[in-house]
Amino acid sequence: MESFFSRYRNLVVLVAALLLQVIGLAVQVRKAVPAEATGLPGAGLREGRSVQLIRLWAADMVTPFERGIHGTGQGLSGLWSNYIDLRHTRDENKELQKTIDRLRLEQATLLEDARRGQRLQALEKFREGYIYATTPAQVIGTSGNSQSHVLWLDKGADSGFKPDMAVITGDGIVGKVRDVFEHTAQVLVINDQTSGAGVVLQTTRIRGILRGNAAGQPQVINILADARIQPGEPVLTAGGDQIFPRGLPVGAVDRVERDRERGSFINVIVKPAAKLDNLDEVLVITSLQPQLSPQQMADLKTSEELKGAEVAADIERKKAAAEMAERLPGLVDPNAPVPATPKDANGKPIAPAIDPKTGQPVPVPPVIPKALPAKHPDRFSPAGMSGNGADVGPSADTGQDTGRDVTTVAAKSLVAGKKPTSAPVATAKPAGHTAGAGVKTPAPKPLKPKSGVQ
Amino acid sequence: MLTPEYRRDLEIRRYPTYIYILVPLAALVLQAWLPRIIGRFAYMDLPLLVTIYFALNRRSPIHGTVLGAVLGMAQDGLSGRAVGIHGIANTVCGFLAASIGIRIVVENNLIRMVLNFMFSLLASAMVVFITRVLLGLEFQWNWLDELLRAAGNGAIGLALFPLLDRTQARD
Repeated sequence: MESFFSRYRNLVVLVAALLLQVIGLAVQVRKAVPAEATGLPGAGLREGRSVQLIRLWAADMVTPFERGIHGTGQGLSGLWSNYIDLRHTRDENKELQKTIDRLRLEQATLLEDARRGQRLQALEKFREGYIYATTPAQVIGTSGNSQSHVLWLDKGADSGFKPDMAVITGDGIVGKVRDVFEHTAQVLVINDQTSGAGVVLQTTRIRGILRGNAAGQPQVINILADARIQPGEPVLTAGGDQIFPRGLPVGAVDRVERDRERGSFINVIVKPAAKLDNLDEVLVITSLQPQLSPQQMADLKTSEELKGAEVAADIERKKAAAEMAERLPGLVDPNAPVPATPKDANGKPIAPAIDPKTGQPVPVPPVIPKALPAKHPDRFSPAGMSGNGADVGPSADTGQDTGRDVTTVAAKSLVAGKKPTSAPVATAKPAGHTAGAGVKTPAPKPLKPKSGVQ
Repeated sequence: MLTPEYRRDLEIRRYPTYIYILVPLAALVLQAWLPRIIGRFAYMDLPLLVTIYFALNRRSPIHGTVLGAVLGMAQDGLSGRAVGIHGIANTVCGFLAASIGIRIVVENNLIRMVLNFMFSLLASAMVVFITRVLLGLEFQWNWLDELLRAAGNGAIGLALFPLLDRTQARD
């Protein structure tokens, strides 16, 4: 036996090394499968402690040197740019200060809009915030493997990072935090084949899952062929993956490729908004709750004060206009709304009657509201107000011409021991229709000018 | 008279212990750091090159196997993939490189370049095989990228191997 091992010791060591690694792989895959059952994109990556340990050792072995290289590079760069290359700095500083002042005012306005947006979102029970707490971090390394698109950050659990936090830049999303160690964190970039993010095409509102392809380009997969998708269409996060907040820019459609395995499906290749190959600094979204800094709060207050001053000025202007209108009563506001056209009982507009003498239309009197019918009518009740529900014409309400006849008929009916009927009332002509036959209506007063006339 | 065993012992190159630690470490650090500078054009695999170099020159299959396994697993630890994919690939490459180093003279630069090219292709093929067949994971790959990486490794080896030759221990 001893001679066997000494004779084939090379092969024995090789087989042992391979066997150990194959077993390790099998264990990792077996543990990853149940996690994939969650259905969330990017799931299936929860690993055992031993694998985490290997990753921790690898990270501890490499990241201190990377941090050193990165720090040295930054220091040299800072030395050059901050102490040596300072030409025209003073002029630039002045210009920048002006820009900052302007941007601060703009930001205050935007913050107000953001607050309004949040209120609307809360109404619709959306849980995403609009302003997020972010922590900047430096990219100190990569996976060093073109098939695995992973970044290493110089901050970890000590900065409050947790797995599945979104990583973004000012241009767009970068990826999500995958593993977190004490002082470092690993980020799975959106162009990795194992990544996943819910996205939506901005114009066509087509939703899909974003993941990387073999060439390291992010693509939206499992989309039915749609001719509306055109290059250049912006792609945004959909917000349904519980990682990326809704509406963050992802990139733009680069081209559309047909799925080789499934003919009716297409893959939309996306040109990422963030420069994924050349990242120096990223932002990790550590909280989706709105958190305003003291400066932002001050800006918001300034914005509210400015808005309050505007509203006060508007009120003063309207008040002055009203006073002016009272002093000049003959003025007619050309912008005043047209008075409502009178309508008959069927809801049809009543045609204005023409005065035969003047040839001018006679103004229509306003409709007088009807009195409620009496429950127990007596002789003092208005004519036609018996509680039988009979309708009463407008002329009866006026009591000018036909009212007398109706009362007489009702009195006669009572004397005869009969209930008063509504027959005479039904024959009464509406006042509107007799307008041209001697019905006197008060002449309408001239319209007063409305406020706002200067 | 030189017996084959004695001749083999003569040709074994030895290195100071710190070289065995520093060079693989530097390879890992540079492999993780350089793609930040040159982006997706980082067609190289420095840990594999270091494995091949020490395996060829030490002419010890056990040494090549262990070094390949350690460096490959460290590479996997830095990537987002399962630990062991590059480990197995580098293990096999280290063993084969040492076995070849016993049989042929590997001082010639052309031979070194061809060996680097071939071993890079072998490693890529093994990574694809392990991921798609053994693990059954969905994995897309581009043969042109693998060819370019193999060519890049061959070219880098031309500069790197003579540099590492200078670090060998002198008797």
